[in-house]
Amino acid sequence: MRDLIVLSGSSNPQLTARICKQLGVPKGEVISSKFANGETSVTVVDSVREKDVYIVQSGCGHTNDNFFELLIMISACKTASAKRVTAVLPLFPYSRQPDLPYNKNGYSVNGKREFDSSPGTPIPNSTTNESTDYLTSSIVKDTSNDMRKSTLLNQPVPTPAASSSSSLLINNTEDTPTYKEWIAQSGTLVANLLTTAGADHIITMDLHDPQFQGFFDIPVDNLYSKPLLQHYIANNIPDFQNAVVVSPDSGGAKRAIAVADQLGMSFALIHKERRYRKLINPTTLDQSLLISSTITPSNSNKVIATTMLVGDVAGKVCVLIDDLVDTSYTITRAASLLKDQGATYVYALVTHGVFSGDAINRINDSAIDKIITTTSTPQDGHAKQLGTKLEVLDVSRILAEAIRRINNGESVSMLFEHGW
Amino acid sequence: MATNSIKLLASDTHNGLAGLVSKRLGTPLTNVAIKRDSNKEVSFSIGESIRDEDIFIIMQIGSGIVNDKVVELLIMINACKTASARRITAILPNFPYARQDRKDKSRAPITAKLMADMLTTAGCDHVVTMDLHASQIQGFFDIPVDNLYAEPSVVKYIRETVNIDEAIIISPDAGGAKRAAGLADRLDLNFALIHKERARANEVSRMVLVGDVTDKVCIIVDDMADTCGTLAKAAEVLLDNGAKKVIAIVTHGILSGNAIKNINNSKLDRVVCTNTVPFEEKLPQCPRLDTIDISGVLAESIRRLHNGESISYLFRNATL
Repeated sequence: MRDLIVLSGSSNPQLTARICKQLGVPKGEVISSKFANGETSVTVVDSVREKDVYIVQSGCGHTNDNFFELLIMISACKTASAKRVTAVLPLFPYSRQPDLPYNKNGYSVNGKREFDSSPGTPIPNSTTNESTDYLTSSIVKDTSNDMRKSTLLNQPVPTPAASSSSSLLINNTEDTPTYKEWIAQSGTLVANLLTTAGADHIITMDLHDPQFQGFFDIPVDNLYSKPLLQHYIANNIPDFQNAVVVSPDSGGAKRAIAVADQLGMSFALIHKERRYRKLINPTTLDQSLLISSTITPSNSNKVIATTMLVGDVAGKVCVLIDDLVDTSYTITRAASLLKDQGATYVYALVTHGVFSGDAINRINDSAIDKIITTTSTPQDGHAKQLGTKLEVLDVSRILAEAIRRINNGESVSMLFEHGW
Repeated sequence: MATNSIKLLASDTHNGLAGLVSKRLGTPLTNVAIKRDSNKEVSFSIGESIRDEDIFIIMQIGSGIVNDKVVELLIMINACKTASARRITAILPNFPYARQDRKDKSRAPITAKLMADMLTTAGCDHVVTMDLHASQIQGFFDIPVDNLYAEPSVVKYIRETVNIDEAIIISPDAGGAKRAAGLADRLDLNFALIHKERARANEVSRMVLVGDVTDKVCIIVDDMADTCGTLAKAAEVLLDNGAKKVIAIVTHGILSGNAIKNINNSKLDRVVCTNTVPFEEKLPQCPRLDTIDISGVLAESIRRLHNGESISYLFRNATL
């Protein structure tokens, strides 16, 4: 292909190799290493003068190192007179922005933190809450919980169990709301950094928030893995018309419904209630209210997060659909809830399988019968540990076709619906 | 209410330098929380209002985690910017990627320029750094860059701990000759130079001494010590040429890789670094390490910047 060169960052070389194979071009040679002090060093071996350069780098592994490597590569190509530099980020780094719900009083910052500044603020009855998912673990673990607790307690609980709620909850009004915390929103920053480094075009896949495109001043092509997932469901799940597509949280409902609509399947939704309340006697819980609960032990308080299922899955095969699995808390908890509700078999389809921390072990022990992910992040290591539980779909064809079309100046939108 | 006062931010509170600066200024560090997620992304929040305040972010960049620290700094700057801070000053005592400052071969990145662009893009209004590897890096920025010098503190250290009469200043390579000569002039000392033929980065080859060091206490002066291979080799060359003992004084003690081993196995009497780079945890492993505290210079520069006073006094004079 004319003037086209594909370079690979160190996050996902296998994917780049596959993309190059699809395109029928040799992979551009880049030597990336680190100086002894940890600074990244990049050497672009092949000439890029007046070429259309595509740099493939996923936001996985050591995200900051990989992101910086990408910035340096973009900048190096730009200063080496490349005609156009396109960053191909199958998994976009920092795409999940912390969006903790604000309440009218703002957040209390009277919390104990991992990296507390001096002078530290002592807090009475601080709960140590094991972070269970990305949102709660993202920034303010304990403080926000305290805040939410105290606001919750001031309102009647709108449930059938409201009458008994007074026995469940005890007052905790020692936290006084202070300044509303300022939380870094790194989306625009990451977009600006890529543009500043010299990127002319971005290709990514299944952005967590589609609004992210608006942060850029350059074109962003957001590709979808939906056709691939649909293809998998239609061909690999027996009697898929009677299966239920389930979204593990309310944020991903739109994504899951789109798949369900296309394939004519029914749909269910798991709603995570992140309310935290103090329990006196957990056995008095109203079972209709709390279908599944995670009780985190702490010295004096019980903090519970409840998950509710909306829809019927009894005796059915369930297909969980999500864009990203990182710590896997959300998806494993969703799977166990589905099994509790009588689901016979649980598939989990996720575009980006990051599986950081203990995620693999958690999935192995979970109620998920089969997890399907894509090559947007390296899966070789995961495949070894998960064995037949894991199936990997190849996204290199979609990315390669997008690169080919962008290089030729053809439309990309056909890929959105039909895949490749 | 907010009245444009100094706000000090640091990412780690065990961070020694920020604590020292804060103590010297009598300004407590601002309450912030940094969380590193299991997928290595960073999230950051500020626990108090910084609207219309004068922000100083102190970022010590240790070896091995440079990229993490840089992204952390960018996120911190951007968070302050979007939180309506009046001015944001990044204090980077050890400027990252300073050595990649030119296109030394085809298609090599000029990462120092990229760093400058990144800081500006994130919303930084002012940069304070110390002993830049090449002072031309200031020209990569469109915002003011104050390059402080460790020299006054080094002069003070030498006067206090070394017998000046038998000392000589050594530059370990031709590039650092200017820095070493300047110091020698300040102390009214003789000056010698080691010329090296370098084969590859981080590797040392043959060394030639220019000047006489017989029966002298040699003080090797450089802006940074990374693996310390050069310093160890230089010490050998100096002792072979009749030097009495060899001390190395470097501004940025990055001390990565085998640095501690190299120092312990070397003939260096002492290796003295300023605390621009955190290396406290390495001190117990190496009794020959010593520290020069430069928190006074930073604190004074923050005070002067905030009040709109001249910084240049600090170029020549050490703080107490």
